[in-house]
Amino acid sequence: MTLVQKDAPLDVVPPRRWGLAVAVGLLLIFSLAPILWQVLTSLKTNADIAAVPNVYFPRQLTLEHYIELFRRRPFLRYMLNSAFVASVSTLLCLLIGTPAAYALARLRLPGERFILAGVLIVTLFPYILLFLGLLELVRTFGLANTYLALIVPYTAMNLPLTILVMRSFFQQLPRDLEDSAKIDGYNTGQMLWQILLPLTLPALVTTGILAFIAAWNEFIFALTFITRESMKTVPVAVAQLSGTAVFEIPYGALAAATVVGTLPLVILVLLFQRRIVQGLTAGAVKG
Amino acid sequence: MNTTLRDQERRTGWWLLTPALLLLLLVYAYPIARSFGLSLVTQNLGTELQPVFAGLDNYSRMALDGRFWQTIGNTVFFTVVSVILELLLGLGIALVLNQAFPSRGAVRTIALLPWALPTALIATTWTWIFNDQFGVWNDILLRLGLIQTGVNWLGDPNWAMWTVIAADVWKTTPFIAILLLAGLQSIPPDLYEAHALDGATRWQSFYRITLPLLLPQILIAGLFRFAQAFGVFDLVQVMTGGGPGGATETVSLYIYATIMRYLDFGYGAALVVVTFVILSLAVALATWGLARLRAVRAIGEPR
Amino acid sequence: MAAVLNLRSWLSRRRYLVGLAILCCTAVVLGNLVAWPQPPIRLTMLTSALDAEQGRSLVAAFEAKNPDIKIDVIEGPTGSNAIEDLYTTSFLLGGSPYDLVMMDVVWLPKFAAAGWLLDLTDQIPAADLADFMPADLDGGRYNGKLYRLPIRSDAQLLFYRQDWLEQAGIQPPETFDDLIAASQQLQQAGTTKWGYVWQGRQFEGLTAVFVDVLAGYGGFWVNPKTLEVGLDRPEAVEAVQFLRRTIEQGVSPPGVSNYQHEDARRLFQAGEAAFMHNWPYAYPLSNADDSPIKGKFAIKTMVHAPGLTSAACLGGWGLGVAKSTAHPEAALRVAQFYASPEAQRLSSLENGYLPTRRSLYSDSEIVAKYPYFPSMMGVVEKAVLRPPIAQYAQASDILQRYLSAAITNRMDAEAAMMAAATETRALLARN
Repeated sequence: MTLVQKDAPLDVVPPRRWGLAVAVGLLLIFSLAPILWQVLTSLKTNADIAAVPNVYFPRQLTLEHYIELFRRRPFLRYMLNSAFVASVSTLLCLLIGTPAAYALARLRLPGERFILAGVLIVTLFPYILLFLGLLELVRTFGLANTYLALIVPYTAMNLPLTILVMRSFFQQLPRDLEDSAKIDGYNTGQMLWQILLPLTLPALVTTGILAFIAAWNEFIFALTFITRESMKTVPVAVAQLSGTAVFEIPYGALAAATVVGTLPLVILVLLFQRRIVQGLTAGAVKG
Repeated sequence: MNTTLRDQERRTGWWLLTPALLLLLLVYAYPIARSFGLSLVTQNLGTELQPVFAGLDNYSRMALDGRFWQTIGNTVFFTVVSVILELLLGLGIALVLNQAFPSRGAVRTIALLPWALPTALIATTWTWIFNDQFGVWNDILLRLGLIQTGVNWLGDPNWAMWTVIAADVWKTTPFIAILLLAGLQSIPPDLYEAHALDGATRWQSFYRITLPLLLPQILIAGLFRFAQAFGVFDLVQVMTGGGPGGATETVSLYIYATIMRYLDFGYGAALVVVTFVILSLAVALATWGLARLRAVRAIGEPR
Repeated sequence: MAAVLNLRSWLSRRRYLVGLAILCCTAVVLGNLVAWPQPPIRLTMLTSALDAEQGRSLVAAFEAKNPDIKIDVIEGPTGSNAIEDLYTTSFLLGGSPYDLVMMDVVWLPKFAAAGWLLDLTDQIPAADLADFMPADLDGGRYNGKLYRLPIRSDAQLLFYRQDWLEQAGIQPPETFDDLIAASQQLQQAGTTKWGYVWQGRQFEGLTAVFVDVLAGYGGFWVNPKTLEVGLDRPEAVEAVQFLRRTIEQGVSPPGVSNYQHEDARRLFQAGEAAFMHNWPYAYPLSNADDSPIKGKFAIKTMVHAPGLTSAACLGGWGLGVAKSTAHPEAALRVAQFYASPEAQRLSSLENGYLPTRRSLYSDSEIVAKYPYFPSMMGVVEKAVLRPPIAQYAQASDILQRYLSAAITNRMDAEAAMMAAATETRALLARN
């Protein structure tokens, strides 16, 4: 066992296994319980939701909250808005960030260190410091209630991470690669497109997923720059859903909204866990 | 010949870099610079939203603004407590995930999940869990006999901040755990073996090897989280809106209210500037500490 | 041959064109006569979820009479602060989706000062305004211009258990001391658990309670004309001390410092309190068939200090027209309809809201349903407006913070009011 798992630092002693099992169990409960509770809530009838003491497992399964969600609110529209804004900003971010990362990794530019330090520091500043200036820009350019009002900041907010992650990937590629390509008669464009791109595709996917998640989850810009119901993204729409129901506790609908709104991200994590971890560590530690 | 090739390379480099730099300047540098400028004017409902030069009035007003100091206090409390808890818990989770056990990959995936989910949505989940009447957390504590009557977690000023911190810890600990796990995996196992041969206990080897070698990762993760927690917005906004009685109002909520609710742009800009300066100082301090640590490490260890 | 053919086809084409023209003209004429169905103008407004629900019949009534206009009501959150923020954000951004603005009385100065509302002063003949209660109309004015038509009035009241007071032979209280004494007497007799419930949570409701009490002590908050701040005067400190005394002497439950309107109503309706400070919305609810206190309570204006008179805090809602709307005439028609006797009658009968028109307080059907309405007219006419200053939200938040600190004993009443006054002055000085 220990031979197979190479990153176990020490031999595993049987009594510790027991403690480990408890620890893993606790970790699973910690990570999953709130999500599962939300799933259960979303499937309960209003009577079960408001029952005191709590009803843990629904006495009767219902989809009414999900149906309600799509019938009373343009929830599909919110999902499409989120998906569109997140996808476009992710693509733009890769398109702009990857060349920059390549330049910073390969083309010894003067002041490179300052640029890199600047990019790194920028990731540390919360969006609340930016929204006043951006609000003015949005007003000046009449971007209120347009997708562009979100796409531009989202692209920018994911740029630092993209640059850092892609740069560390480029640095890992052997330098002779491009030289030998040039000797083989590729011009720069062909070299980038036919050799470098296929090699960096996994890194692009990694960064893309991180950027997509960040854009899907963003709140403060979406809250401020979009006021039209049909343009809202999922986080803002759900946050504003709370407290809209008058005669009943809205938590069934809210739970259903949370489940639907998080589903795309859960799927992403399930499919790409390894890549996400790689990207996060590359972005934070090696940067 | 060589110089022209270098020149050409540089020129290409700048072309590749320019769009990204322009966008970063537009979205990051411009708003901050603009806030510096706006902080010197009074532009609010009193001036019918027209800017009137006011010098440093906005800053002197801040000194007397009890609410500003309360929100700074709340923010520091939230940041320090949540980052410490997240580091401790994250380290624990990283240590667990670094052990060998069946289906470890799946457990890692699940442990990562909270980090990926939208904060605003998760905030509604926690609001529901901590509901005073129907919340499951009260129900569990009641069943266990730990409390006699339901606690109003989000409505009681003494509990609300802790409740919000709990939600933040759940949401962001995975991020720290992942960074620390990467650090753990980079520690060569033979270090432990050598240490164990010297007769050290597990605790000693954790204290002498793991912790010192992990320190850079701990500091980096701490720094990231510090900066993010200092600007916490969506979680608090959705869970309490800053209430009850301003008990959970952080500086970012105050900035947002000053600008979007009071339309007090000049003062809001001054708040942005002060927060920016505080954060910059903290980051500079942390970076300096990190650099020193690396320098010491470089001298202390021949590897 | 070809030329002839061409000519013929040209002729026929010409005839065709002429025919088309004639047809068009007829259509236009006919259209004007029989109201050719044009796509209706769509107007959007945002209201709280409760108002959206309760306002359905109003929308239906309007659309039935005005087939050329459709009203889209966007259902917002329940909290009125949240609605204010949604409107604010959308106007601030420009390109607002809302044509009509449903406003609480305290938002108006901000919205008007920011230039988001259409000036209605010259749009409405003075004769049309005669029926409205002056206090409600004033709530829609800023710097002498009218921006909002009042559609619903509100004034805070003291609810009391008539049955208990009669039983114990106590007169309904007139002064603050009466209120505390009566409460204590009923509590000691074991009639009630609590004496007086109010709203002590740090939110707008606390401001409103304080405004009532402050008026009863003869104090003022901000003088709208001179912008003088009266919060550090002895009357204001006395008002805070009264609120604090209710908790210290056990007349109000300790939890009152965290109460909102519904918390107070639940307690009162459950028969656990003798007096309640609340808005009239609680009346029909507490007097409903399933209420244990149906028919056992009465209302009066809030108590006051000896030798002074009381004044209720004025609330109420109205409709304004967004300056950015593409259809100002249509929007104005909606606002006028909502303010009309017909619409207010409907909303009074359906939901128990106080009308803003004098004539409706003597409407036989309304009075039959709500016998207390005629007495409300005097209350509303004497009601005090919270300071109609553009920075109201900020001023109220300052006041709430320090009131809450004083009520929960985190600050001395005098120190709290001094600080509140200082901050309020700093706020108003920045003009």
